[in-house]
Formats: sequence, structure tokens, C-alpha cells
Amino acid sequence: MLKRIEDWNYYELLSVERTASPDEIWAAYQAALATYKDGSPALYGLVSEAERGLVHERVQEAFQTLRDPEKRKEYDLALLRHAPYFPPKAPFRKSVGKLEIEEAPPKKGFWARLKRLLFRNP
Amino acid sequence: MDKRIWAIGGGKGGTGKSFVAASLGLHLASLDRQVLLVDADLGAPNLHTLLGIKASHPDLGDFLTNAVPSLEGAAVETPYRNLRIVKGSENILFIANLNHYRKLRFLRQLRQIEAPTVILDLGTGSSFNTLDFFLSANPGVVVATPEPTAIENTYLFLKSCIMRVLKLYMDHYKIRDLHQKMLDQIEKNSQSLYGFFKSLMESDRAYGTILYRALRGFRPCLVMNKTRDERDVLLGRSIADVARKYLLIDMKYLGAVPYDDNVLASLRDLKPFYVEHRDSAAARAIRQMSEELAYSIEFTLRTPPEIRLPDA
Repeated sequence: MLKRIEDWNYYELLSVERTASPDEIWAAYQAALATYKDGSPALYGLVSEAERGLVHERVQEAFQTLRDPEKRKEYDLALLRHAPYFPPKAPFRKSVGKLEIEEAPPKKGFWARLKRLLFRNP
Repeated sequence: MDKRIWAIGGGKGGTGKSFVAASLGLHLASLDRQVLLVDADLGAPNLHTLLGIKASHPDLGDFLTNAVPSLEGAAVETPYRNLRIVKGSENILFIANLNHYRKLRFLRQLRQIEAPTVILDLGTGSSFNTLDFFLSANPGVVVATPEPTAIENTYLFLKSCIMRVLKLYMDHYKIRDLHQKMLDQIEKNSQSLYGFFKSLMESDRAYGTILYRALRGFRPCLVMNKTRDERDVLLGRSIADVARKYLLIDMKYLGAVPYDDNVLASLRDLKPFYVEHRDSAAARAIRQMSEELAYSIEFTLRTPPEIRLPDA
């Protein structure tokens, strides 16, 4: 996701999912406040004071919107119109065994050939 | 279990890289896993001291100067079961300026060596050798402490890694003219990396996509060492979040290791802290990180950036 800080939506800015509960949003807001507060050591050597101020303002704005259920609903709808949302999936490991079966060549025996002739999907 | 190479690095000296490497190695070895610690700090090696072992031959210098034919031959047993070490070289004047051929030989043998877990303890700074060792691991762990100097150097180290990844890809795809453009732009401001990619995507989307994917393949972890309170612990989370937003990298915060006076006491006694103080909060934190690194499915699915060092 190649985006400028100014273009991050409120959820991305607070690093929470769109399905986050009010408690999760509160915790993320506290963490974001600690990150972007005046004189924050986390920004030392990377982010200028002016940029920090801008992000801090946006964090406040994000929290004010997401804490209010009505405003959040409106914001979510506007966001959905702009870009669809796909909830994150749990990571899974591809089954090597299954892949081998899927890629196995069709059986060459007489009954297999007859079945293929009689049934379209043996 | 798959073979893993972990590299413990960072931008500033004294953050506890060797301490973290030694403790992770001792913990994994206690779980009956064959572990090889490699002191790849070419400037000031001292991992053996943290394990209570005196410097002796063979060491990494003997392998690099062909005195021993293989890295396996430079590995020696430690007093701890399942744990071997390739000690750092005392002949640092010669070894610190490692040439390209020797570096490639070292990286090749590192991948071939018979040990399920190899832990590289890297030196301070952003020399090409250190960066290449760090990038060849999966994952690379950056150790920082909650001080402005360490944080500043952590960002500098991450930026150097990013530029090294991009440069290697640019060399591979023969788009070297982009390198100067990147160097010019990256110094401008905190969002310069975004600016560089944005302009590249507009002018050449194919190369832009290749380089952006290469950058996203670089996924280091962060450990905050010597934390004294909850604020310091949260600082690690903030740094990972800032790196994700401003440096466009997927950085994972592994956790914090609390400050412990006994680390220094153990070092004075030439005994490993992890063995002497197994029940301390710091040892518990190391165990948790080690398990996360060793068994997290996230890392088994991760692929490090495909880096091909140029032959010349």
C-alpha cells in the first residue's frame, strides 16, 4: 500500500482493523498519542516537528470520528464507497500433498479411460 | 524443521546485540535444537566472552583467510549442550575490510552449514558487509534501547538496509541510473521514500512495482532492550509503527527485554546471564521472543528479499 501519511484513512492511521471495538480504538488512540506527542522519542531523527503536528491533529480527528457510533457509520459508508474492505485472513500453509494430487496426471488404466468416455467428469 | 538464519544487528553500539544473540542461542540449545552462533562482528567481536569462553583458534578469521577450509571447521563446541560457536577474529585489522569474494564465500557456507538454527551476531554500523549479512537472514532482528541516540541510529540502520536492498535490485535489473535519483531524493524529508516510489511509479510502473515488492519483502523485527518502565516498552511499538508508515517496511515488534543489573554482574563473572538468571524477567522475555521467532508460522511463510550480490 503506497500511500502518503495524509492519505491514510483513520483506521490505517490508528493501526486498527475496520472491525475494531471501541476499546481497541481507545487503546490504539492512546498508543498513537504517545507516538506523535510533542517531543516523542519515537520520531527522533526521522520526522520533523511540522509533520508530527499534522499527524497528531489527524489522530485527534480520527478518534473524534471513530468514538461516535453515528459518525463512524457515516465514515465507514463513505470509505466503502471509495474502496471495498476485505477482512484479514489467517495465514495458512498450503498442503503439499494436496497440490501433488491436484497436479497428478490422469490415470491411464482401461477402467479410467472407459469412465472418462462414459462420464464427462469421472 | 526448516533451517533458519537469524541476524542480530542494529545501528548503535552497546544496545545489547551480543547479549540478545547469546541468550537466544542458549535458550534454543536448551530446547534440544542444534544451534550455531557466529560472531560476525568484524570490528569488535566479543560474543565468546558473553558465553564465558576465551578467544582462541580456530575462529572466523581462520576461515576467511583459508586457514580452515570450511565454516564448519571454524565452529567449536561450547560448555553448553547443542551449542557451537564460530568465534570472532582477533585479527580485526585484516578482517574488518572483508573483500567481496570472501563475503560471498562466507554467505554461501552459512547457508550450507549443518545446523537448523544459525544466529549471526553483527557489528555496529552500516557497512556493506554488515548490511549484506543482515539482509541474508530471515528474519533480521534490530536491537535498540530507549535513548534518542539509539533510536536515531536505528532509523539510520533501517534506511541503509532499505537503500542496500533497492540498490541490489537496481544493479540486478541494470537500472543503475535510478540509484543516484534515489540518493538525491531520500535525503529530502521523512516521506522522501514515498516521493521516490510515487515518481518512479508514474515514470516506469514495471520497475516501480519490482522495487516496491523488493522493499516489502524486507521485514525486520525489533527488540527494545534495557527497558525500565511501560513507556519504554510502548516506545518499541511506536518505532515499529513509525517505520511502517514512513519507511514503508513491514516491521514487527518482538518485545522488550527489561533492564537487569545482573547482566553486568554475570559479564564480570564471565558467566552467561541466561544460564545464571533463568527466572529473571529479562530471561523470560528472551524465551518469549525466541519462541515467537522459532515457531511463528508468519516467519515460515515469509520469504526474504531475493538478493543476488553482483559477482564483481
